[in-house]
Amino acid sequence: MKKIYYFLVAGLAAVLLTASTHFNAPISGFDNGTPAIQSISALAFGPDGVLFIGDSKSASVFAIDTKDKAAIEKSAAVDVKNVDQKIAALLGTEAKNITILDIAVNPVSKKIYCAVQNSDNTTVLLTIEGDKVQPVNLKNVSYSTVSISNAPAEDAKDQRGRPLRVWAVSDLAYADGKVFVSGLSNQEFSSTFRSIPFPFVNKQDQSSLEIYHAAHGRYETYAPIKTFTTAQLNGKKYLVASFTCTPLVLFPLDELKAGTHVKGRTVGEFGSGNTPLDIITMKKGDESILLMANSSRPVMRVKYQNLEKYEGSLTDPVTENYATAGVNFVTLPMTNVLHIDKLDDSQVLVLQRKSNGDLDLWSSGDRWF
Amino acid sequence: MVLILIRIRLRLWQSLVLFFLLGCWGQKDKSTEVSIVWEGDRATGIIIPSHYLRGSSTDSAKYLLHVHLSGPGDYPAILGDYETFDDDVLFKPLIPLTPGLTYEVRFSGDPIGKIEVPASLSTNASKLVAIYPSQDSLPQNLLKFYFEFSRPMREGQALKHITLLRNNTDTITGAFLDLKPELWNSDYTRLTVWLDPGRIKRDLQPNMRLGAPLDAAAHYSLIVEAGWPDTYGSVVNQSTQKNFYVTNRDSISPGLEGWMIQTPSVNTRDPLLVNFHESLDCVLLKEALFITNSHGERVAGDIELQNEESTLLFRPQEPWLKGSFVLQSEGRLEDLAGNNLNRPFDRDVTADAASAAKEVFTREFQIQ
Repeated sequence: MKKIYYFLVAGLAAVLLTASTHFNAPISGFDNGTPAIQSISALAFGPDGVLFIGDSKSASVFAIDTKDKAAIEKSAAVDVKNVDQKIAALLGTEAKNITILDIAVNPVSKKIYCAVQNSDNTTVLLTIEGDKVQPVNLKNVSYSTVSISNAPAEDAKDQRGRPLRVWAVSDLAYADGKVFVSGLSNQEFSSTFRSIPFPFVNKQDQSSLEIYHAAHGRYETYAPIKTFTTAQLNGKKYLVASFTCTPLVLFPLDELKAGTHVKGRTVGEFGSGNTPLDIITMKKGDESILLMANSSRPVMRVKYQNLEKYEGSLTDPVTENYATAGVNFVTLPMTNVLHIDKLDDSQVLVLQRKSNGDLDLWSSGDRWF
Repeated sequence: MVLILIRIRLRLWQSLVLFFLLGCWGQKDKSTEVSIVWEGDRATGIIIPSHYLRGSSTDSAKYLLHVHLSGPGDYPAILGDYETFDDDVLFKPLIPLTPGLTYEVRFSGDPIGKIEVPASLSTNASKLVAIYPSQDSLPQNLLKFYFEFSRPMREGQALKHITLLRNNTDTITGAFLDLKPELWNSDYTRLTVWLDPGRIKRDLQPNMRLGAPLDAAAHYSLIVEAGWPDTYGSVVNQSTQKNFYVTNRDSISPGLEGWMIQTPSVNTRDPLLVNFHESLDCVLLKEALFITNSHGERVAGDIELQNEESTLLFRPQEPWLKGSFVLQSEGRLEDLAGNNLNRPFDRDVTADAASAAKEVFTREFQIQ
């Protein structure tokens, strides 16, 4: 009897061990160690709590296994007043010395991740849960990395020992097994746009993307993409990208392949002196909507239904000055929004500079958008 | 033999220097007060002598000791690691301590020590070394300015300190694109700022609504105000003004075929001179241009720009050999209006046929 008991216990232990090993199984291509992250410019979550960090200084994307996998369906409402002052005090400095570079919500745990830059340009990664702010450990973690600089063969040609190209990583997104990343050059007027299979392999696709001007059939090439998201329109997947010169452009995802030159369809222009900061997709009832935060414009809302219906491309002349070009959009009564992200299916996380100068982090239900 | 003797002497000197340094280190008294750890100009930690632990072991420090900002109001404990260092406790915050602020060490909540980080260690204020393009007449569709500093600067502050004035009276609002992240080089000493490309590109709505940021035949002043912070807690203490006159739009791509190449004599290290007949992008000229020999090997040498970035001088490391060489330029080389070797900044497709983009453009020359 005793033997059977031991056998059962051993068997149960083996099952539990297997289960826990499976739960914490290392992700393919990930190594344990301390990633050499030099700067944090953009954050995005992938599957199973994997956090992607865009590092402009090293022109790389890091994938970190945060092990933050405890799933919850709906997040508690977020309302952190003067979030910059709270973070600054915890870092031992004053709010004027820090900048919140990006925020990203882990879609599994709904935990908020936040990249903060100090006045000496040091960047740190923090989580925010309610009023609790904690550092994210980036030492001895499971991680993987990929370069978005020139392919090694191209760099090998350069014998002058120059430092690697800087690509100011402007946005990151994960969809359907791929990480998409855009980086702006600090030299020529261009961007690199990569679609990198995840888990990372050596192969990555770099497409050149072309967009049309809104009038007279003139077009530009290689205008830098500032921010983007992916969406399904009429059953087809698209990259929905916003450029530094304001147009909103659709590119079919399946056409973004190495060496291809893809012409996008400009579907909207959203005004001057402005750079788009974040684009996210939300559901309101049965309807999918796109929300875009801007540097000097209020948050804008575009219904995907309208994007689907908008078959045209802005290649016809805009005859009237001050006319709205392209797809209809609504300007929400929400100004000085620095970052937005999807908190859960019905809430948006908003980092906003209020009119009294306070920087607040709060969440909003779908009544807001 | 002589070489061996020199080496032995060098070794001896190195040993003596090391011995002296070790001696100095050994003589240095350990501070009995809370003190700051410096890495270069940065205060990266606080040493808390072990006696502050009142008999507790240093590995229990993280439970007993906490560092807070000092001042009115109840500041939370600062995030960081507590390590044992030379029998004392080293507190390493996530970011360096801020110059000018005072920090308070508490043991189980009781204040036990205070330390102030000096406001700025540096006696040299950061300087704006150069603004490019250096020309004082610029095309109406000028795309960017470069700002070069003497020391690394704080990111995210640029547009608070740059102003564009027209005819010394009107401030041009929205002339520059507010980019996040800003376009710095890797050591934060050179910033690229774009004039709003949506206003420069013809027929885009911003261009139609507001026009280009610059008007032809007008005088402008680019003002960089004092107070731009660097990464050391210091600021640029002098304003800089660059005056320029705006000429017509430049919609023509630069081309190697039109450049004037003045070749040096064989067996000299005299420079090769390339005159572009217009100012080109100062950063790209140093990154995208190179010279290869008849075997396709890159010739090592230094590039100098003259005449407001309209002339390039290439001085080889080794004397020129007789034969044929190739001046090569990557297609991404731009003029001041963002026209590159492959295409103008905004191309009218109804007028121009698209040609395949080339990575590298070449022009051969002979050294005789």
